[in-house]
Amino acid sequence: MINDVTLSYLIFILPLLSFVVNGLFLCRKSDKAAAAMGISANGIAAISAIILAVHYFTSGLAPQKAILFEHEFIPFGNFLANIGCLIDPLSIMMLVVVTFISFMVNIYSVGYMRGDRATGRFFALLSLFSFSMLGLVAATNLFQMFIFWELVGVSSYLLIGFWYHKPSAVSASKQAFILTRFADSFFLLGIVLVSYVVQSFDFATLNDLTLSSFKAETIDLGLLVVSKADALILGSVLIFTGGWGKSAMFPMHIWLPNAMEGPTPVSSIIHSATMVVAGVYLVARLFPFFAICGSTLTLIMIVGAFTMVFAAVIACTQKDIKRILAYSTLSQLGYMMFALGVCQVGQTIVTTGWTASTFHIFTHAFFKCSLFLIAGSLIHQVHTNDLDAMGGLRKKMPWTYWCTLISILAISGIPPFSGFFSKDEIILAAFQGHHYVVFGLALLTSGLTTFYMFRLFFLAFHGEPRHEGVKAGHVHEDFAMTLPIVILAIPALLSGIAGKSLFAAFFVPGKIHAPQLVKLAEASWIPFAAVAIAIIALALAWFFYASPKARIAKALDESNRSGIYKTVYHKFYFDEMYYAVVRQFVIGGVARVARFIEDYIVGTLVNFSVWFIHKLGDLVRVAQGGYLPFYLGTLIVGVLLWRFLGNLPL
Amino acid sequence: MNYIVPDILLLIFPFIVIGSRLFCSTKSNIPWRIANVGCIAIFILLNFIPLANGNGVFFLSNWRVDDFGILMREVLMVSAILGIWLSKDYFEHSADGRPQLHQIAEFIGAIAFATFGGVVVVSACDLVTFFLGLEIATIPMYALTAWNKKDLIGSEAATKYILMGSVATAFELFGFSYLYGFAGSLHFTDIQSAVAAGPSPLLWIAVLFLFCGIGFKLTLFPFYTWAPDVYEGAPTPVTAVLSVSSKATAIAFLVVLVFGPLAPIQEQIAPLIALLAGTTLFVGNLGALKQSRLRRFMAYSSIAQAGYIMIALLGPATIAETAIIYYLFVYAVSNYLAFFVFAIIGHHREEIFASLKGLSKQNPSIAIALAISMFSLAGIPPLAGFFGKFHLFFSGASTGHYAIVAFAVLNNVIALYYYIQLIKSAWVDEPDGHLTPIRLTRRQRSVVILLSIAVVVLGFLPFLSNNIFSGFTF
Repeated sequence: MINDVTLSYLIFILPLLSFVVNGLFLCRKSDKAAAAMGISANGIAAISAIILAVHYFTSGLAPQKAILFEHEFIPFGNFLANIGCLIDPLSIMMLVVVTFISFMVNIYSVGYMRGDRATGRFFALLSLFSFSMLGLVAATNLFQMFIFWELVGVSSYLLIGFWYHKPSAVSASKQAFILTRFADSFFLLGIVLVSYVVQSFDFATLNDLTLSSFKAETIDLGLLVVSKADALILGSVLIFTGGWGKSAMFPMHIWLPNAMEGPTPVSSIIHSATMVVAGVYLVARLFPFFAICGSTLTLIMIVGAFTMVFAAVIACTQKDIKRILAYSTLSQLGYMMFALGVCQVGQTIVTTGWTASTFHIFTHAFFKCSLFLIAGSLIHQVHTNDLDAMGGLRKKMPWTYWCTLISILAISGIPPFSGFFSKDEIILAAFQGHHYVVFGLALLTSGLTTFYMFRLFFLAFHGEPRHEGVKAGHVHEDFAMTLPIVILAIPALLSGIAGKSLFAAFFVPGKIHAPQLVKLAEASWIPFAAVAIAIIALALAWFFYASPKARIAKALDESNRSGIYKTVYHKFYFDEMYYAVVRQFVIGGVARVARFIEDYIVGTLVNFSVWFIHKLGDLVRVAQGGYLPFYLGTLIVGVLLWRFLGNLPL
Repeated sequence: MNYIVPDILLLIFPFIVIGSRLFCSTKSNIPWRIANVGCIAIFILLNFIPLANGNGVFFLSNWRVDDFGILMREVLMVSAILGIWLSKDYFEHSADGRPQLHQIAEFIGAIAFATFGGVVVVSACDLVTFFLGLEIATIPMYALTAWNKKDLIGSEAATKYILMGSVATAFELFGFSYLYGFAGSLHFTDIQSAVAAGPSPLLWIAVLFLFCGIGFKLTLFPFYTWAPDVYEGAPTPVTAVLSVSSKATAIAFLVVLVFGPLAPIQEQIAPLIALLAGTTLFVGNLGALKQSRLRRFMAYSSIAQAGYIMIALLGPATIAETAIIYYLFVYAVSNYLAFFVFAIIGHHREEIFASLKGLSKQNPSIAIALAISMFSLAGIPPLAGFFGKFHLFFSGASTGHYAIVAFAVLNNVIALYYYIQLIKSAWVDEPDGHLTPIRLTRRQRSVVILLSIAVVVLGFLPFLSNNIFSGFTF
């Protein structure tokens, strides 16, 4: 009765059921019933996913691929678009992550959304999101992936704009939706192109291609005629563009920090742990296909590595706790993305980066989800996102404090916490691929990561309270909110150690039709270097923001940089140099350049195109003056226009 | 023999409806009931005709019933039924600041005649029948636009419509005369063999004028200028019928032409079709950006949709026909859903964006229906509109016209922007206390629910439409 197939049906149907029941019946009746429905449906789905995973990995099936169920959806000529459930180590891992995180976030939301006027709708939408995300990760073909890809986009849109009485939330949700849709239109084009050339949507077929068989035939793309092999390479870039937008890589990253306007549980599940890794997942899923497509992987590496550094630098300057985490997510997504890219070494392929990237998806989901939930907890207590108003929360929120420490140590890559293992493998993969620039940047960014995360940690929990409510002792921990944080701290601590051997044994991207790099460089010193850098960064953060001598007010105050202070305190002249270097150069210089690029170049381009389209719209509107002779004139003009432009051989 | 029964019934039907008025009082509901029974009966009869009968069945040598024709008849009947349902309320009280309509029997008769015109277009085998069908489909539309004699805006719109329509008809006739001059025959098969034998300048002039003439009806750039004014001026149910039936007839005209007599030169006219499609959808999208009146907005939206449909004409015959039929079904359902919502609003308020304020709080069911129809028109999966568009693009791409498909897909982003504006008005803006509250009648409620379910189900379960696809061999 209970076999893999029924379990997989359960995983999909329960969140959908919860969405339908909550959306149609419970959302108006009772918030409690809606919450119970959401938690129980997602909880059973999570348990089913875990049982499925345990069975898959212990029964000797792994790492084979299997399709648990598949139904015909639409026939397109001689090939079919199906809806099904694909099982392999990667999708099983994602199924577990998505259902488990969704379960945790559902519990958390009971506390976070208490007293909100539309709690029922919130739970319905959360379940819709889980369902869509599950459909995405279990997709057996590109078409199914695209459908659910759009569905997660829609649910993300609805959830970012959940508090639609806030204008900022509405504009953020619109921006996120339209920007990702913009990227998705390239994705769709890529699907049409690739499926037309290959005559299939199936991942199995796509991942089993060799370009050489397509070199001879040509295809007419309308503007130019290219060989089918080149068309496939173009298709791979177009498909990656979809992931580029969804995973918010530079310069399409701007929607993610703004999306923080949504409720924090939403940021935690959609914009850190699951949906934004869809882009990485897409590349990982189609990895053998990308591997044969020339230098697409190099493009992926460059985009990923740049986003990683860029976002980490910006994160050092932010004061809004959720935005720090958003930029941190961007930076970590950059890690995962470039780890896939570094697999290409000249003409050869090395798969260590793939394993490292999927491993990082796994560990990152837990600690980053946990960090967002913690941020939500803090915001819930002090009613602000601003680090200025926090501080001194250690005593009031002890559980949260220790869980935060675990997650932050994990993201900083300090052993034995989970992030250490996956990040170390990514850095090693960059080294093995002889991509030394990216390798250096990755090491540097891991230092930056530690710095900004501990900056957040010290400013929020240590020092004197800077908030009236905290001083007056109104702060407490909410059970429903603290429970998931504590539960998530366990995988944040252990998933690295536990996962290492599992990933090494089973996580390989499948058969690749490209020469493999045989001799791998070993570098046992890398973990030590990475940890050393992390510890130096940690010390710096402590020095600036937590040491007894640290001047937190000054560190937070951006306007006060007066010289008198320095002359009085000669003792700190050395510090001032640090301040100068860190503040003036890193934050003031590099960050300003990054900020400039963000505000002016990206912003101007976006604004210009919006302005231009609107001007054209005005033109069309003005032409519609209601003047009949003009209208009749357009008929004549039209005939002449198409006579000359219509390419008719007249 | 039963192939032609629905056509004969459809021809007799308006006479029965109009005639029935002679025997009952002005207030009587009998003509309306007869109309409902008749339309639905014809639609059901159509569904009994088996598909996949190759070249079609001929009657009197120039009346052809083929797969495409049967499915187009179903589209047109769906549109007529929904149009009649939509119009009923307008005969009971005034709406959108316009006086109440009168003479429902004649109104329904006019819609039925226009529908019959569409049927003639898809059944024609020679130029004369073809042209007559187009005119039968158009002339009732002029009358319907000016149905409200006391409404000056409607009369103005109808004047514009009829004047521009006459010029377009002149173009058509001019094109037909050249086509006849070129081929020396009125019959499609003869014309096709003449075209295959080798084109000449005469043929190209004919093609140019035929496309420009039908461009008027299909609201292609730059022949669309009448549409916003007429959509705005005509009574709302007429606007809805115009945007679906009239457009379906015009696209059927092009399908019959491009895959019939002009099939041998399809490749040469592809650039013209692509240009018409590209400019039309771009201009339609631009025009829709900054509208404040709902029907004007729908006019531009439907101009853009016409551009999208044109893309399918680039593909091979069977794929293109399948894509167009499926899209027309989806478009009809989504568009009528939008118009039903606007009509419900129009019965109590002005038909402008501002009237939608706070709809999600006061009437969540209408707001949901509106969101469903807008997302479907914008082509968001998994609603029906997405699959429709996908088929259209697939058809264009299967003959390698990637540039135009890419352009259309990018344009969808603009389209998403303005459809979301509408959803924003309904969902985000705070309710305005000065607006009259909205109440739904039972008929309105059931139709809105029916159409919403149809849009969602057509998307989620596309295999329901397999009968559309099964008729064709890919």
